[in-house]
Amino acid sequence: MTEFARQVEALRPQLLRFARTQLRNDAWAEDAVSETLLAALERPQSFAGASQLKTWLVGILKHKVVDQLRRHTREASLMSDDDSADFDELLFTADGHWREAPKEWGDPEHACRERQFFEVLEACVQHLPGVQGRVFMMREWLELETDEICKELAITPTNLWVLLHRARLRLRSCLQSTWFDGREAPPA
Amino acid sequence: MKTTLTCRDVTRLVLEGEDRHLRLSERLGVRVHMLICKACPKFARQVQFMRGAMGQWKQYGGGNGEPPH
Repeated sequence: MTEFARQVEALRPQLLRFARTQLRNDAWAEDAVSETLLAALERPQSFAGASQLKTWLVGILKHKVVDQLRRHTREASLMSDDDSADFDELLFTADGHWREAPKEWGDPEHACRERQFFEVLEACVQHLPGVQGRVFMMREWLELETDEICKELAITPTNLWVLLHRARLRLRSCLQSTWFDGREAPPA
Repeated sequence: MKTTLTCRDVTRLVLEGEDRHLRLSERLGVRVHMLICKACPKFARQVQFMRGAMGQWKQYGGGNGEPPH
């Protein structure tokens, strides 16, 4: 194996982690990563070397991941009961007040200094219901515009707003309970 | 648009602000609510936190594979 092939192969686990977090389906993720590695090995000359190898591969992976979503549109947008559950009721009283006031989380730079924080963040994203997780990652990782997400998943804008809303509220609750609870409050 | 927003309304608008430009009337409603509410400004800071953390996470997995030090 050439040095280039070895370096590409070494990045497979990280690419797979991204693909799994986005696609929420191991078989699709494996396919997206295999297609990425194949594309990379077939045209190594398109890696200019100016950017980091991983950045280049992640760029290819994002396209392959979108291809997978297109290939599996129906399944990818099939809502589970969890996806459909209204999260607001848990957080707000009938007259719209917080049941429990949000807490001070401090500066993300502070939490991000700890490697463990990323594991918690990633686990929380992975625990989102399937469709919520996909649309959230399409926004945050693929950085697609909302109308593109609607098109790729064949969902209405109203559906998308509701899904993103619930995904972010769930992520917030997960971070609160798995990272912040039991920690000393950061300086305000 | 209602002149007084509940925390639930403001939460929805703060979250939608992550994905679209809020209209002037919406921004005004949120701003006014933030002046009289102690809880919602904290929520808005949590949303900023999540945005920042996801940005760092992309670097963590997509940059050099190590968390930033």
